[in-house]
Amino acid sequence: MKTAGIDIGSITAKAAILEDGVILGTRIGFTGYNAGLAGRKIFEDLTGELGMEASSLDRIVSTGYGRKSVEFAHKSMTEIICHGAGAHFLDPKVRTVVDVGGQDSKALILDASGKVTDFVMNDKCAAGTGRFLEVMARALEVNLDEFGEISLQSENPAKISSICTVFAESEVISLISRGEQRDNIIAGIHDSVASRVYAMAQRLAVNAPIMMTGGVARNIGVVRALEKRFGSPVEVNEYAQANGAIGAAVLACSLP
Amino acid sequence: MDKLNEFIEVAGEPGAYARRIRASGRSVIGYYCSYAPEEIIHAAGLHPVRLFGTGGDSGIADRHLQAYCCSLVRGALAESLTGGLDYLDGTVFPHTCDSIQRLSDIWRLNTGHGFFADVVLPVKLTGESARQYLIDVLQRFKRDLESYFGLTVTEESLRSSIRIYNTIRSCLNEIYELKSRNPGLLTGRELFSIVRASMVMDREGLRDKLQALLRELREGVPGRDGRGRRLMLVGNACNHPDVYDLIERSGGQVVWDDLCTGTRWFSGAIREEGDPVASIAERLFERQVCPSKHKSPTARGEHLVAQAREHGAEGVIFLYLKFCDPHSFDYPYLKGYLKDAGIPSMLLEIEDTLPPEGQILTRIETFTQMLGPETGAALTGASRTGREG
Repeated sequence: MKTAGIDIGSITAKAAILEDGVILGTRIGFTGYNAGLAGRKIFEDLTGELGMEASSLDRIVSTGYGRKSVEFAHKSMTEIICHGAGAHFLDPKVRTVVDVGGQDSKALILDASGKVTDFVMNDKCAAGTGRFLEVMARALEVNLDEFGEISLQSENPAKISSICTVFAESEVISLISRGEQRDNIIAGIHDSVASRVYAMAQRLAVNAPIMMTGGVARNIGVVRALEKRFGSPVEVNEYAQANGAIGAAVLACSLP
Repeated sequence: MDKLNEFIEVAGEPGAYARRIRASGRSVIGYYCSYAPEEIIHAAGLHPVRLFGTGGDSGIADRHLQAYCCSLVRGALAESLTGGLDYLDGTVFPHTCDSIQRLSDIWRLNTGHGFFADVVLPVKLTGESARQYLIDVLQRFKRDLESYFGLTVTEESLRSSIRIYNTIRSCLNEIYELKSRNPGLLTGRELFSIVRASMVMDREGLRDKLQALLRELREGVPGRDGRGRRLMLVGNACNHPDVYDLIERSGGQVVWDDLCTGTRWFSGAIREEGDPVASIAERLFERQVCPSKHKSPTARGEHLVAQAREHGAEGVIFLYLKFCDPHSFDYPYLKGYLKDAGIPSMLLEIEDTLPPEGQILTRIETFTQMLGPETGAALTGASRTGREG
């Protein structure tokens, strides 16, 4: 059985194709202004790359904020359910998933069968999200992809106390003008993201093993900062960013 | 259904309805809380109207209120200060949460809506002294009304009002029961409109209209699809018919509630014999409590689980106005009660405007999908190969 999952997030679109429990491929692109178009494009790019006909797929599930705009999907499921299914697929031992995406963050609890039993989603602002990191990268004139590695060199992370992204940016600019080391500032930014996400997850009964998914999981600095908060290792799979799409493809297998 | 039209219309524009009542020569008394002793207001020949806040720009209230006040309190004050409550001849503030108590002071000093009363209810609704005190408080409220408006509230008029309210409450309860048994009978938005309009409409007319509506509903209007996960709403005041639409679009059906603008307002009957004021007090004393009141350490949790079980609720949505401290303090305890009873729950914090639709749908849909079979045992990857795109 061949299935596809398409995850249209606020910043990136992801697609994954599975055949009988094996990932054939995943792909990540930008969502842009038209979610429906982004879904079509990422799907066609992936099937093209894999040399498959779109019609050879038995079931397609869409997820993410743009899930309803993917007209060719057989069903849409929320990204929370899909991240749960994806994490369980990648590592069935996982009991807590922390998903930090472009514009929001979520934590969810899984039971032994991969079913989501509780979840929480940030509803206050962009603090603790990928967008927060993007704003800070711009302020520091550092490529976001380098954020993680740079922060690991820090010996004395700076303190960022504002929750508001805009105020936190001013704080970062003050730190720059005071001559604070870049690695310390970036480590402070990661701590700030981790503390928001951790505080939110604490509303749930968090159990190890913990897996982090979503685009921000690519940032090793945030992962390490989260590990410190949770006092427990945080697993990151190579498919972290495509995890929602993988989960959607997994759930597509059980569609009638 | 034609009989629903007036309820929907009044619920949409409660102020316009209240203005018409006033134009007909009756004085209008506003209140914000389901502990308001409406029967006494009604027996005095005055018209009680529930106030809901602006649902819009409440910036003008910032002159008087701190940022931690909920959107109901802000919206209430803003509505008054911008002239939206010009139909009021008075306002009653039962003693509940801190913000409403302080709103009452600000109101008294800044709004000028005529009659003003704080009804300082006991906080602990237990024991004989609290019971007697509550009767005394209601007697005093009755005397205050009488002296301000220069009228006498007779025992007979109190009895008559009690009978009317008993009928209204039992009708609403039965409509809820019918919807619980057959969720497709009414949409959530329709049920919301019926209850909301009931807090505003002329009560004699309302009694007759509810009875007529009920006769029709008992026949069971066929047609609508009532499928969906059976959910219960728990919280303070719900001002958003959209919440019901969003729940239905997400595969849920609200089959019961524990809301200040729902069952807490209409549950319980008043004894029709004996001293009428004591009987009104007795209903308030025995009624399911809100988190600003105390009955016992377990009362709210037990009540919640019992209601959820009775109505076959598969899940509970806590619908809280942001910054509502009494409800938020009770939340972990209530969530724990539900968890122990095996009933999943989720928290949705809202203000007088709803969060972006996408966000709210993601939450509610996740919740209904979480309850659904398709999210059950999921496949795990036996052998993984493949490549990253």
